[in-house]
Amino acid sequence: MMTEHTIKAFDTDLQELARMIAEMGGLAERQIGDALDALNRHEAALARSVIATDARIDALQREIEERAILTIARRQPMAVDLRDIVGALRVSNDLERIGDLAKNIAKRVEVVENELSLQKVMRGVEHMTELVLTQIKDVLDAYARRDVGKAVQVWRSDEEVDAVNNSLFRELLTYMMEDPRNISVCIHLLFCAKNIERMGDHATNIAETVFNIVTGDYLRDDRPKADATSTTPVPTLPQGK
Amino acid sequence: MSSIAGVSHAVPPPIPTTAGRPADGVGKPAEKILVRNLNFYYGNNKALKSINVPLYDRKVTAFIGPSGCGKSTLLRILNRIYSLYPHQWAEGDVLLDGANILDPGQDLNLLRARVGMVFQKPTPFPMSIYENIAFGIRLFENLSRAEIEERVQSALRRAAIWDEVKDKLQANGLSLSGGQQQRLCIARTVALKPEVILLDEPCSALDPISTAKIEELIDELKDDYTIAIVTHNMQQAARVSDYTAFMYLGELIEFDTTSKMFTTPADRRTQDYITGRFG
Repeated sequence: MMTEHTIKAFDTDLQELARMIAEMGGLAERQIGDALDALNRHEAALARSVIATDARIDALQREIEERAILTIARRQPMAVDLRDIVGALRVSNDLERIGDLAKNIAKRVEVVENELSLQKVMRGVEHMTELVLTQIKDVLDAYARRDVGKAVQVWRSDEEVDAVNNSLFRELLTYMMEDPRNISVCIHLLFCAKNIERMGDHATNIAETVFNIVTGDYLRDDRPKADATSTTPVPTLPQGK
Repeated sequence: MSSIAGVSHAVPPPIPTTAGRPADGVGKPAEKILVRNLNFYYGNNKALKSINVPLYDRKVTAFIGPSGCGKSTLLRILNRIYSLYPHQWAEGDVLLDGANILDPGQDLNLLRARVGMVFQKPTPFPMSIYENIAFGIRLFENLSRAEIEERVQSALRRAAIWDEVKDKLQANGLSLSGGQQQRLCIARTVALKPEVILLDEPCSALDPISTAKIEELIDELKDDYTIAIVTHNMQQAARVSDYTAFMYLGELIEFDTTSKMFTTPADRRTQDYITGRFG
């Protein structure tokens, strides 16, 4: 670990920032889990609680920003300290976005009709969520421990999320073509899947930030990507059906 | 480059980073001064240990490090001020445009006209503002009264103090404020048309506004002069310099571009010092 600053209050400032990020990360993780449970079990009350809790994440982001700015003004940090503080700002932005995406999923809970037998699709969404939650847990752990190896691991693993998202996309397309009554729910689930996929992107952003804090370098932006949903053609329906 | 999606690598590929990218700009500027294997002694005390460092032409180089690390000592060698004192000597090379100024045959007056120095505390002569500048010019050059007047005015303008003193050129230099006195001393140095200016903590006795004026001045002067500055103020070094050298216990620990030194220094001791973790 780093040796301590001569001015101990500076260490306290940095530790407090890290603590707030950890709190925010914990909240964001819980929000994702709750949003998915609400969707899965069609629990409107739980969905509303997710929507309400998002304000707490937003408030934490503001607090982190204020404290970071104050710390920069008072301590005039250099090198690794400066990257540490700027990193906290960036990570809190990503976590705030992750929270928003969880809220977006929660908002759809009430409108998604669950009577359809789409359990198989829901399994896919759940699997994707598990992958992303693991990514977020791992990357927050990498942030807390300043573990570059683990951060790079998360950075590379986003490809898997993209792959699941692709197969889910195809599956939902099929259901929609099979029966137009499925369209509404499938569209909502498509958006949910997209939201989850986005969370994974934010996890890789955080991984890049951890890498930069520790090394001062940047991971080049040619990480393995496999999101093909924007280029997958939608087959036309047979006429007269 | 084609990427193979979905294939997991048994051995993780190397981490693609931006490290090792070429530095900004093309090549390095010419070396105005080159210090090579320099040792320096105060009696039996070895104060500098094989220092190697360049001062690039028309760039600002900052020397930072804790008290007693040898940064002022190094500056005092560059115009051989140390030669005024007994029991102090240097070994190694200090090349100014390729010629070794440590050579016993070096004309010290000429050297100090080419390599000017400004000290921590303003040191105006106890004479008029005008004479503070003109005095030095007359020592080195035989100019007409009008030419001297012109040179005094241009030096005072160059040092960004002309507007403040133009109506009281006959007033005593000591009547000026600390910040004005320091700029007067810089004007005195500039008047001799040196090639290199050495600044030894020029702002440590000044208030923030005077400090800002001196820093602005340094920024303007570097178009024409090679500048070395010793400072205890890390932010000042980061603000004014192009290159930074970190010294510790008589050794040069690290020398690099200022942007590199204050963001990603290579040596752990440099990082500990600039982030306030020393000792």
